[in-house]
Amino acid sequence: MSAPSTAPRKGPTPWLATWQRLMEGVGPEAAPGLRRAILGLLAAAILQGLALASIVPVFTALFSRRDLTDGLVWLAVFTALTVAASVLRWRAQGFDYDGQMSAATNRLRLRLGAQLRRMPLETLQESRTGELNSMVLNSVDETLQTTLTILNLIFIAVVTPFATGIALFAVDWRMALAFLAVFPAILPLYRWRRPAMGRGKRILAQAHQEANADVLEYAQGLPVLRAARQAGSKAERLAKTFEKLEAIQAYGHRKGEKPNILVASVVELGLVLVLALGAGLVAFGALDLAALAGLLVIVARLSEPLSTFILYTAMVELIESALDRIAALMRIEPLPQDDPAAVPDRFDIEFDAVTFRYAQAPDPALKGISLRLPARSLTALVGPSGSGKTTLTKLLMRQSDPQEGAIRIGGVDLRRIPADRLAGLISVVFQDVYLFNDTVAANIRMARPGATEAELRAAAEAAHCLEFIERLPKGWDTPLGDIGGRLSGGERQRISIARALLKDAPIVILDEPTAALDTESELSVQRAIDALVRDKTVLVIAHRLSTVAGADRLLVLEEGRLTAQGRHAELLACPGRYRRMWEAQMRAKDWHLVPAGTSAH
Amino acid sequence: MTDPKTGPKTARPGPKLPGAWAIMAPVRGQIRAGMALAVLSALFGLATLGFLALTVQALMAGQGALACGFMAAAFLCTLGGYLGRLGAFNQSHYAAFRLERLLRTGLAQRLAQVSLGYVETEGAGGLTKVIHDDVKALHVFVADSTPLYARAYVTPFVTFALLLWLDWRLALAALAVLALGMGVLTWAQRRRGEMARAYNDARERVSAAVVEFVQAMPVVRTFDAGHGIFGRYQRALDAYAQVLARWYRESGFAARFSWVVLAPMPTLAVVLWLGGGLVWAGDLDPLRWLAVLLLCTGMAEAVMPMMMLRHMNEKVKLSIARIHEVMAAPVLPEPAPGAEARPQDASVRFENVTFRYGAGESDALTDVTFEAAPGTVTALVGPSGAGKSTVARLIPRFWDANSGRVLIGGADVREMTADTLMGQVAFVFQDTFLFSDSIAANIRLGSPEASMEDVIAAATAAQAHDFIMDLPQGYDTPAGERGSFLSGGQRQRITIARAILQDRPILVLDEATAFADPENEAALVAALARLMRGKTVLMVAHRLPTIRDADRILVFDRGRLTEQGRHDDLVAGGGLYARLWSNYERAQNWSLGQRAPQEVPA
Repeated sequence: MSAPSTAPRKGPTPWLATWQRLMEGVGPEAAPGLRRAILGLLAAAILQGLALASIVPVFTALFSRRDLTDGLVWLAVFTALTVAASVLRWRAQGFDYDGQMSAATNRLRLRLGAQLRRMPLETLQESRTGELNSMVLNSVDETLQTTLTILNLIFIAVVTPFATGIALFAVDWRMALAFLAVFPAILPLYRWRRPAMGRGKRILAQAHQEANADVLEYAQGLPVLRAARQAGSKAERLAKTFEKLEAIQAYGHRKGEKPNILVASVVELGLVLVLALGAGLVAFGALDLAALAGLLVIVARLSEPLSTFILYTAMVELIESALDRIAALMRIEPLPQDDPAAVPDRFDIEFDAVTFRYAQAPDPALKGISLRLPARSLTALVGPSGSGKTTLTKLLMRQSDPQEGAIRIGGVDLRRIPADRLAGLISVVFQDVYLFNDTVAANIRMARPGATEAELRAAAEAAHCLEFIERLPKGWDTPLGDIGGRLSGGERQRISIARALLKDAPIVILDEPTAALDTESELSVQRAIDALVRDKTVLVIAHRLSTVAGADRLLVLEEGRLTAQGRHAELLACPGRYRRMWEAQMRAKDWHLVPAGTSAH
Repeated sequence: MTDPKTGPKTARPGPKLPGAWAIMAPVRGQIRAGMALAVLSALFGLATLGFLALTVQALMAGQGALACGFMAAAFLCTLGGYLGRLGAFNQSHYAAFRLERLLRTGLAQRLAQVSLGYVETEGAGGLTKVIHDDVKALHVFVADSTPLYARAYVTPFVTFALLLWLDWRLALAALAVLALGMGVLTWAQRRRGEMARAYNDARERVSAAVVEFVQAMPVVRTFDAGHGIFGRYQRALDAYAQVLARWYRESGFAARFSWVVLAPMPTLAVVLWLGGGLVWAGDLDPLRWLAVLLLCTGMAEAVMPMMMLRHMNEKVKLSIARIHEVMAAPVLPEPAPGAEARPQDASVRFENVTFRYGAGESDALTDVTFEAAPGTVTALVGPSGAGKSTVARLIPRFWDANSGRVLIGGADVREMTADTLMGQVAFVFQDTFLFSDSIAANIRLGSPEASMEDVIAAATAAQAHDFIMDLPQGYDTPAGERGSFLSGGQRQRITIARAILQDRPILVLDEATAFADPENEAALVAALARLMRGKTVLMVAHRLPTIRDADRILVFDRGRLTEQGRHDDLVAGGGLYARLWSNYERAQNWSLGQRAPQEVPA
């Protein structure tokens, strides 16, 4: 078995592990019920097998021995077993139909949601993880809710014939053996061909991923392609991608079908051979013809569930991989909290020889950074993009822990501050504003649910929001989902600033809050920010240097190192990155368009 | 019996499954072949059972050789049935794969013809989802369901006919059991449409809550002190759980009941008791009874797998509706061949242009008229939402004006072919887009015949040559996923190099300098200056000083052209532009940290 090491699963997950994950998935409240339900289905399948087996004595009693009483007794046995199986199955399915399963998946989703809140943000935001988590969260019930249905079908396909086979020993041991040789064979055969199916799936998944990326690029690039008159030729290239995908699908289909053919033909033809054996035995007088007739009826009943069995195995795969993903997600530990827990009472910030490397990156994003931000001071981070400015603020919010060094607020190591208390100390205004699909009031109030109307109003007023909020169709109660698009960038940003103002945290981080705004709204946002940063320890990232020229201190970051710090005038006085940046910016600012026709630069 | 093709009537509007059959039109032949094979396989299955019964008859009559022959026939029929099923499965799968390719290709080509405004409104992500995921979702219907449908159509009727021929009393008994099961099931699902809608709505809200919860996690962590967002997530989940519980409660009994009745065992029990009695009374040939026992559950068994697939097929309907929607998006009308207009010069003219984005929306542009003479620079300014970008978008026909005309070189853009129009105008958008191809290929886009020297010359003029040469493989460096390792300014300069290479007489710039960082900005500005030389330029700008020397500044406010003129005149005029300019100057002078000295600790 040469599955590549990157494969999510090397072989089939052991049944026992799947069982345990399933029980963990539904949680302790529902696990006993689920166990009972599964055992009930199992028992129902066995009883059904026994019921089928009792058709043989019905036939022999009626035809060979002409014994009506005996025939009726066996008919009654058949009926009783059938009813018992139905009752058991009915009760087992109650786990689904009485809502226990949906309640369990609901609890599971809440647990997963709580886990997302706990896990390190950095892990959560690793490439594509976010999307994956949404998927897990979204599909968890659809996958788990089919569990009992699928198990029921598989039991009927595998366990019922097995029980029938065992019971047949009472009729004729040769037939029973032949019977048992055929039916349970599908299980090992299925286990054996599964890796092949997995390989096919991986190839296919990759082809789909590539096709998806190509389609996305095409859709995103359409305006450019159209402008370049290349949409047609790019569409032709896309058609080639689709052709390749079709070829891979067909290849995967062929690869996956070969073992399927084998499994199904072994079993179906095997069954006919069993009957042929029975016919032979009858011809030589070694078996009762009536018994053979009974066997015929049984075989006819059992071959149908069998032929669809293969279809259900794909669903088993889905359930197993969903359980795998859930387990993987739940395994992620939140960042540890060191003892003794402490909460700072002053709000100066200290980075002490901090080195940090992202999980996937070859080089550290921050290298040996040491700095001190006095309480209620304003510090600006400047430097080219990719120099580590945003990483530094992320570490301060403890989205990750540095590999070396320590970060302290008021002398207390971040690792000792409980996560919710740390979150309470810091307000952030991001460049991209995220507004929730709720009312204006709720979007601001979320920062401090206990805030009074007056406090809410005051925050909105200080953030220069009041005027436009009151102009909205339903004022404070306007749902932002309906009109989110109609607010300008500046208005959205001011709502997010009102949120931060209401929170009134002692530390404020500003990450390019005015980068995407136009001049008119920029002015109001600037005033809002002025209100926000008053009396706070402020860390600001800004590209436009004039914005932060008045800061108490500027920190110049280059390639993860702190290369210069000081006030604007001090930094300007000595040659270096900051002066170059400042001069470049002043040049750009003074640049005027030269009307065409006159001579250029 | 309910029609298995449409299932119980649902109240959901929009295309129903007949739409699904219609979407398969391109591969109809193959699908039909697959369905025919599935029918053949089902008939082989019935024949197998028949030969098995005949074997027993031959054995009973002591005709060993004949029994052997019947047994062999049963074996061959099993083989034939299996091969038929496999063939059906193969045909439907290959047809499904081919259909996926045809639909995707068709959708991609459609997108090359619709208005760009449509593409922009739908969003690249949404359209990708249709082309990729929705088409993929068809698979379960086309590949897996069609053979089952064929079987579900044919088997019950053939089986019932055979049963009637064997013994009409047992046939009716078997039918009665089936009818009871189906009847209860149909009754159980009488409110299915309504419940399905409630279910889908609740699910959509859960999806939205999940996406919001995950995407907004940084904000949730810093601001959601009271776990308000988690509460919203929880409420969406609870509402969903309630809908689900109600559905189960209302349909639980009937669904479970029909499952029990439609399973083979009850039919078998009825036929065993009734048949046994008839045989014992001498009213029925035992062999016929055996044959009935072999066949009687075939009707229900043929219908059951389809019931299981129905839930999946309902989802397919939604995908089909979305595919149809994209395929039905109106194509941008092109002039008839021979009737196309050609621009006379590099001027741009708007004549009484009024435009709104949707029927119910207010005007985005109202009666806008202006002319940009060849070789002049025209700047479009105004508060956000004033209509500047709309003007820029009407030129490349993202949309067409509701009334009035947009003229290039005296020719209406609607009367030009897309090729002619795009050959006149180059665009540099705020959102720079690089393809995952080499840097050189990205610059060459739109000028495929350009030599490497031309590419380098364009890159040099765009101030991009130096940083490109610093890249590991120079011009052959792959631009990566949307050029992610290049800075915004660098990406922008590559798109400018592209426009320089295209060398078209008219240039439309939309916020071309918005995302540059300070050091890059100077280089970017130099690159733009080079690009604009000698061209008719229309530029949308938020940074007012960059356009101070434009030949003409057009000031927009709420969709109307309210002022126009040169910078100095407009500032002196004291209108909107003057206000914007004064705002700008104040914003420029803003600096954080202008606080009273005593507030800052020493």
